[in-house]
Amino acid sequence: MIDAMLSSPFFGLTLTAACWCFALRLQKRTGLLVCNPVLVAALLVIGVLTVFHIPLESYNAGGSMIKLMLGPATAVLALNIYQQRQILKSHFLPVLAGCLMGSLTSIAVVLAFCWFFATEDVFTASMLPKSITTAIAVGISESGGGIQGITAASVVITGVEGAILSPLFARLFRVTDPVAEGVAIGACSHAIGTSKALEIGALQGAMSSVSLCVCGILTSILVLFL
Amino acid sequence: MHIMAEIAIIFGICLLSEGIAALLPFVFPASVISMLILAALLLTGVVKTKHIQLLSGFFIANMGMFFIPSLVGTLEYAETLRAQFIPFLVITLLTTPVVYLVTAWTVQLLTRLLSRKGGSRHD
Repeated sequence: MIDAMLSSPFFGLTLTAACWCFALRLQKRTGLLVCNPVLVAALLVIGVLTVFHIPLESYNAGGSMIKLMLGPATAVLALNIYQQRQILKSHFLPVLAGCLMGSLTSIAVVLAFCWFFATEDVFTASMLPKSITTAIAVGISESGGGIQGITAASVVITGVEGAILSPLFARLFRVTDPVAEGVAIGACSHAIGTSKALEIGALQGAMSSVSLCVCGILTSILVLFL
Repeated sequence: MHIMAEIAIIFGICLLSEGIAALLPFVFPASVISMLILAALLLTGVVKTKHIQLLSGFFIANMGMFFIPSLVGTLEYAETLRAQFIPFLVITLLTTPVVYLVTAWTVQLLTRLLSRKGGSRHD
């Protein structure tokens, strides 16, 4: 009976949904950014699989269905652009230039570090899209021959880091313009950072949500030239 | 709108994007194509927010859940990750402030430059 249950896609689906809900609760209860629900939920799933010696293939029967939904989840990000179109129009040039410079910087810094550490190509391809939102990053990583899991881990850690440290960055780098602050948060820490940007201010949140889309598009174009 | 109609619209866009991605002479993520198509449809008014609001609300509110299988997949590459753990951490953590700095200053300088130019005209 256990074997039949483990080989069913419902196993992966149930486990993911349950861990996700638990992690959301935990985040709400503690209010800590470090308790990022994606990170906590993934660790919980990994914990369950390890403790009960359940092979990854069993989980993936359902997990791959959830992964398939990354496509539509990315598509609906278009709403960010649409809803902020007025604000985007009035700051078009600075936002576009900022996202372009941010995306270029991210790629250049990752490449420089990979050269320094003499990493393998697979690893480099996995790290290249680390600053952009997970849904797009895993797509780029896959297209470039990287490992989705490593990309996703780096992206989520980057996001949590940005969400925690962005108020400090603003003071440290003397960023006073709310538009610049929002675009920078979106460029360096995508959707997870955007949740923090929304707390800082409505304008910062709006710019951050536009910036995460623009940076995602620009990065997927820029990596074509590597 | 009926939830199934919303699913048909969004999944249809994703399906079309996969077709377009296959036609392109270079490798490009289909998910980005679907985002561009949906943005174009919204901006031209072909698709209205109300046509997709139930499903997009669900996806946006639970976006994180869809990343869990990719993260769990890291288990399979635990060796690779362990071998490259220092580069992994250094790259992940140090790139972020640099990107913040460059992006924020580009926007800030350009905004000041543009407002100075525009300001002389408006004042």
